[in-house]
Amino acid sequence: MNTRTGFTRRTAIRAGLAAVAAPALLRYARGETPIKIGMPLALTGPAGEIGLQMRHGAEFWAKQVNTKGGLTGRQIELHVEDTAGDPATCVRKAQLVVERDNCHLLFGMVLSSEALAVVPKLADWNTIFMSSDNGDGRLTGSSFVPNFFRANISGPMETRAISLWLRKADFKKFYALGMDYAWGHNSIDVFSDEVKKAKKDLVGTVFSPIGTTDFSTYITKIRQSGADACFLVLQGDDNNAFLSQAHEYRLSDKVQLITSIVDLNSIRAVGDAAIGLAGSTRYVFTIDNPANKAFVAEWRKEYNALPDVFEGEQYQACQMLQAGIEKANSIDADKLRPALETAAIDSIKGHVAMRACDHQAVQGGYIVKVEKVAGAKLPVPQIIATLPGDEVTPACRQMTFDS
Amino acid sequence: MDFLGFLVTECLNALSQAALLFFLGVGLTLIFGIMRIVNFAHGAFFMLGAYVGYTAVSVTGNFWVALIAAPLLVGGFGVAFELGILRQLYRRDHSAFLMVTFGLTLIMGEAIRLLWGVAALQVPAPKSLSGIVFILDEPFPIYRLFLICAGIVVAIGIWQFLERTRLGLLIRATAQNAEMVHALGTDVRLVRSAVFGIGCGLAGIGGVLAAPLVTASLGMAPNAVIDTFVIVIIGGMGSFAGSLIGALLVAFVQVFGTYYFPDLALALMYLVMLTVLVVRPGGLLGKEA
Repeated sequence: MNTRTGFTRRTAIRAGLAAVAAPALLRYARGETPIKIGMPLALTGPAGEIGLQMRHGAEFWAKQVNTKGGLTGRQIELHVEDTAGDPATCVRKAQLVVERDNCHLLFGMVLSSEALAVVPKLADWNTIFMSSDNGDGRLTGSSFVPNFFRANISGPMETRAISLWLRKADFKKFYALGMDYAWGHNSIDVFSDEVKKAKKDLVGTVFSPIGTTDFSTYITKIRQSGADACFLVLQGDDNNAFLSQAHEYRLSDKVQLITSIVDLNSIRAVGDAAIGLAGSTRYVFTIDNPANKAFVAEWRKEYNALPDVFEGEQYQACQMLQAGIEKANSIDADKLRPALETAAIDSIKGHVAMRACDHQAVQGGYIVKVEKVAGAKLPVPQIIATLPGDEVTPACRQMTFDS
Repeated sequence: MDFLGFLVTECLNALSQAALLFFLGVGLTLIFGIMRIVNFAHGAFFMLGAYVGYTAVSVTGNFWVALIAAPLLVGGFGVAFELGILRQLYRRDHSAFLMVTFGLTLIMGEAIRLLWGVAALQVPAPKSLSGIVFILDEPFPIYRLFLICAGIVVAIGIWQFLERTRLGLLIRATAQNAEMVHALGTDVRLVRSAVFGIGCGLAGIGGVLAAPLVTASLGMAPNAVIDTFVIVIIGGMGSFAGSLIGALLVAFVQVFGTYYFPDLALALMYLVMLTVLVVRPGGLLGKEA
């Protein structure tokens, strides 16, 4: 008889299963259920590209945390739902992840109109929402709720960064073109305020309906205005159409185009038409600090690509939430809220600190200019100015700046 | 910029926009004239044209290849759709066509998303057309002049095709009285397939031509389909000349409307449509309903 018969295949399988199941069972025994985070995102529709980037950024972070043994020993679990960019759908999907999936933490959302529709419900749901993208100043102003936190730079802050940069720049006369909805109007209001303070001229403003495909008339208006710089608040397809057509008319020969968002997807879509475009960016892979270098290196290893704006912003928001959870050692809204209010991280965008009074993360603003770099197929956004966080962040719950 | 320069540039802008709108409108109106169906998927065929154009340009590096390949492929896909699905529905109620073509829009949108991804794609205009010319001291893109020429050539081409060729004759006859054409020994079903294919192919050309201006993107279909309906409703469902007039009217109203009344940019087009519908319910050149 074989001496090893005691160790049959069946016992081996049992032992194997036990070994695999043991950590999970142990965690379960200690009450360590996964940390569930709901992400209602516009994955389809005109804003779908941004939603996909945000999901990508969050997935990257979750994988990174989970392979290192989780957050406070618990695994991260993302529950992503498509909202198609519709506020009503977004509220429904947010409710779904909260009630069905039992997520009491939310990431997202793509459009400010979606976030504005969701925030009034957060208290009832006992849920913390860490925004990584929403720009509307009202979210940390008139529509502020205690369970909302904004890790990203807001629309008014981006505009402020540009205006501070413009004060020092040579431009005298400005024109502004924005998309005809909350974000466009909000950003241009702030910009117009800033231009006045800089004692320069805003010679004209125009809003284009969402989904505009022909910008020739807007380009004519900009040319006729005699402005030496034009401020753009456009995104997605509208932004790509405008840049392609502005290039057709050689608009940037006469007018410096300044945009509130420079992102890689848009550069990919319009190619050389993006050259010369200046603007603030929420995140760019060329930011020079150790945290960002490590992030970009790891991102490249994982996806063989460069991280884009909303991937970076999402990652920063994830790290902010992580810092809060580590500090509170809990995801319960009442314990997490005070921890987040004083959370600070050395993020990929430098030092970022949450502010207790309106839950806006104080952070620096970056100004980039899209340039052709020898050897690179596509133009690259290069940082031309960095503005400190205390200068670009408005006073608590404000959207405008006094000076 | 003096007023004359402004006027000429804006008129050229409007004409180039009208050319793109015409490619969409004429296909939709031809299909309606023959088949009495409203093709909700027309915007999706336009979008498919742009994406096929993108692939053709990136594979061959030649815009002209894209301009030939896209209408052939998109038109071929249209014929296949007509043969495979629409043909089964002619006996049904009109709402069946609405459902099926609307469904096709959704399916094509998702299929394009899966095949080409969500990011907008660049389709550069050919080098020879990407320069500018100065018209009354105002820079004007050569590509837009090319669009105007392409619009004129295609408009004349379709007109001559309808007037002078045998298939054109059959198309006009079928639009007037399909049963009589059938009784005279012509297979009306083949005429229908041909027209559906031609209509979709024209939308495909429109898609390739629009791509350098707006990039190939998933938002193309919904944006295009609304403008196209407005054109066809203004011009009169089924009228070739009507679609031409509708395209010109919509383009001029959009360009000058946006210039003088930017806050009403979106509303003006619909105001024109409403006025036309009140005065002539069948559209400018359509049969009175």
